[in-house]
Amino acid sequence: MVPIAWLLFLCVCFVGGCTESPPENIIRIGLAIAPTNLDPRLATDAPSARVNRLLYSRLVDFADDATAIPALATWEALTPTHYRFVLREPRPTFPEGTPLTAKDVLDTYRSILDPKTASPHRGLLHNIRKINTPSELAIDFFLLHPDPLFPSYLVIGILPANLIEMNHPFHENPVGSGPFLFHQRPDDSRLILKRRHDAQLMEFVKVLNPTVRTLKLLAGEIHLLQNDLPPELVTYLSENPSIFYQHKEGSKFSYIGFNHQDPIVGQKLIRKAIAHAINREQIIQFALGGRARLAQALFPPSHWVGASQLEGYGYDPMQAMELLRQAGFSRERSPTLIYKTSTDPFRLRLATIIQEQLRQVGIHMSIHSHDWGTFYGDIKSGHFQMYSLAWVGLKTPDIFRQAFHSQSVPPQGVNRGRYTDPVTDDLIAKAERTPETNQQRDLYRSLQERLLDTLPYVPLWYEDNVALSTRAIRGYTVRTDGNFDSLVHVQWATPTTLRSQIVRQTDS
Amino acid sequence: MSHFILKRIASALIGLIGVISLVFFLIHMIPGDPIDVMLGESALAADREALRQGLGLHLPLYEQWWNYFTALAQGNFGHSLFSGRPIVDLLLERIPATLHLSLIALTVAIIIALPLGLLAATRQHSLYDYGSMGFALFGMSIPNFWMGPLLILIGALWLGWFPVSGREGWNAVVLPALTLGTAMAAILARMIRSSLLEILGEDFLRTARAKGLSSIKAIVSHALPNALLPVLTLLGLQLGGLLGGAVITETVFAWPGLGLLMIEAIQQRDYPVVQAAVLCISMTYIVVNLMTDLLYAWLDPRINLQNPS
Repeated sequence: MVPIAWLLFLCVCFVGGCTESPPENIIRIGLAIAPTNLDPRLATDAPSARVNRLLYSRLVDFADDATAIPALATWEALTPTHYRFVLREPRPTFPEGTPLTAKDVLDTYRSILDPKTASPHRGLLHNIRKINTPSELAIDFFLLHPDPLFPSYLVIGILPANLIEMNHPFHENPVGSGPFLFHQRPDDSRLILKRRHDAQLMEFVKVLNPTVRTLKLLAGEIHLLQNDLPPELVTYLSENPSIFYQHKEGSKFSYIGFNHQDPIVGQKLIRKAIAHAINREQIIQFALGGRARLAQALFPPSHWVGASQLEGYGYDPMQAMELLRQAGFSRERSPTLIYKTSTDPFRLRLATIIQEQLRQVGIHMSIHSHDWGTFYGDIKSGHFQMYSLAWVGLKTPDIFRQAFHSQSVPPQGVNRGRYTDPVTDDLIAKAERTPETNQQRDLYRSLQERLLDTLPYVPLWYEDNVALSTRAIRGYTVRTDGNFDSLVHVQWATPTTLRSQIVRQTDS
Repeated sequence: MSHFILKRIASALIGLIGVISLVFFLIHMIPGDPIDVMLGESALAADREALRQGLGLHLPLYEQWWNYFTALAQGNFGHSLFSGRPIVDLLLERIPATLHLSLIALTVAIIIALPLGLLAATRQHSLYDYGSMGFALFGMSIPNFWMGPLLILIGALWLGWFPVSGREGWNAVVLPALTLGTAMAAILARMIRSSLLEILGEDFLRTARAKGLSSIKAIVSHALPNALLPVLTLLGLQLGGLLGGAVITETVFAWPGLGLLMIEAIQQRDYPVVQAAVLCISMTYIVVNLMTDLLYAWLDPRINLQNPS
């Protein structure tokens, strides 16, 4: 026994030396999912996109109503297929001090369009025919076809041209001209950035378990949490005096999707019955803690194409039963449906609520929950009757073509429900061709009316964005799009020496 | 001895090839395409195809399998499909964390289980016995996903002695090691008790006592070494399991270990990472089992590794 004990003791001493002491004076942000790729040309996931906004500057940004606004550059359309962007002064600089130039923009977009880069954004920019730089500050984009939405696609971070040429590994060592610099990535679950203007370190820490994220916030080990918490934990934290709670109307759109090739849910009457059978107000009030708004369309009314005039399907079980009767179903012959969802406990809870509400009108629904990869694979391949998902970060109306056009069935797009409607196709084409913004807006609003009538999705709600921070920091403002941009303004609320004492006092 | 080790290594290699092949085919059979996760759904069909070809995912499965094995034979684990990082780097980041947690959890388990088992066996049918075995039952019954947050609440939030999660600071390992260690200790304590009870009735122990050896000395010098042999097998198996990644505990405590890496890779359909992680875990099991056999022979001279029969 003694040799075993010695062996263990030695091993423990040896490996125990590997752990690092926690760095001091660092603001920590808890994440459910860590950013996977810090190269903005390759990143597709929301955490990577949010962190990349801090590391890189971009030509164009979005206003609150999601219209494109100048960021690095202003622009004008010289012809419908020729856009000139001019960099604004003062220009941001890369870490070594050189200011961003038109060549950096040119090389970034050329590398995105290069098939060898395998950028997921190439599809969005496939309309670019040619890019020129008439001066150090100007960039000309020539398009194959007119597209009034074109400037809103240029939101990808700009990389330094010299490093692009050297095939620099931006995904693990990002170099940009944003307000933050890459500092360190100790492991996959931690990422440390340095704020340029005051060298303040900020660490993004991945903690998968929401309860543990909550406990870390309460213990002062992390200073900020945003979203990805079950409503009951948000309520619990929001009532804690040591936590500063803010929420803002968000644009994350939750919906129920249908397989339109299915003999049951392919019928509009059935989809309408389902829409009337779900008591969305009650779900928002009791399951989401009131932190959501009813949705009638993909975009909220605050979006520039948002359709505030739409009246959705109110909770009306009698109407739902009547629609089922019209579709040939009755109490004796009730439809049986399969609802697919992920293994996320909150999504499962929502599924069980919807199951019960549908049962009350005579629809039997069985819930099939799968791990994310399997669930997502089934949805794309059309192996489902109905499912629930959410769209995050939607900004541009090109999503209508991708999600609802008859030619956008996967892998050509994201029309996962195989929805085909000539009127919808026609409205999408017309809106895309229209050069005048007001006309385009009207067409997109008509399109959303059509979608609400034909119900490829049953719109559920837009989830609010929630931020919870300890009193040790101040200056963070939660945004509608859920981005971390206001980390630029976050400061310690108290001097460092007092901070730990305050955290201890508030916790006790 | 060397003949025995060589034989074991040869059989381990065959086992490894079998495990890796099985995992390779299974992970490719389950629904979900890494290309979709990497490029998103809005990517051009041509780009998807180009990436598929670039990664060799367009090849027939048996060719992919062969390519993977030939690369592996050259020590090339490949790169993660998502982060683009070399898999060796990912493994080297995670293995020390898993090793760290496993060894300390095992130490905790031994420290708790040994006195409890001893006490229960030497005071059979007493309050000590019932108390120890009650603890063991309690330890086995509590799932780690509940024990972990409970320990965090007490140790980190109420007492403020340990960090809630992560692997920073010397004391970060205490709570996850306790979570794993108490569950293991429960099983070990029961094993030590039953094994010791059997030995305590043996003639050689009565002889030792008759020769004037004190009760404590007889137990520590004669009974315990014999009773610990079956416990050693259990320890080996448990250590193998721990080194394979204690997924739930690693998730609860955000411990950056091998188990967590594998689970995340499976969810993302990051084939090369899953395969490398499984290879690592299989090798660990094989090495730990081999070590257990060798230790067995060392502790019990009656065991002949040249001719185990």
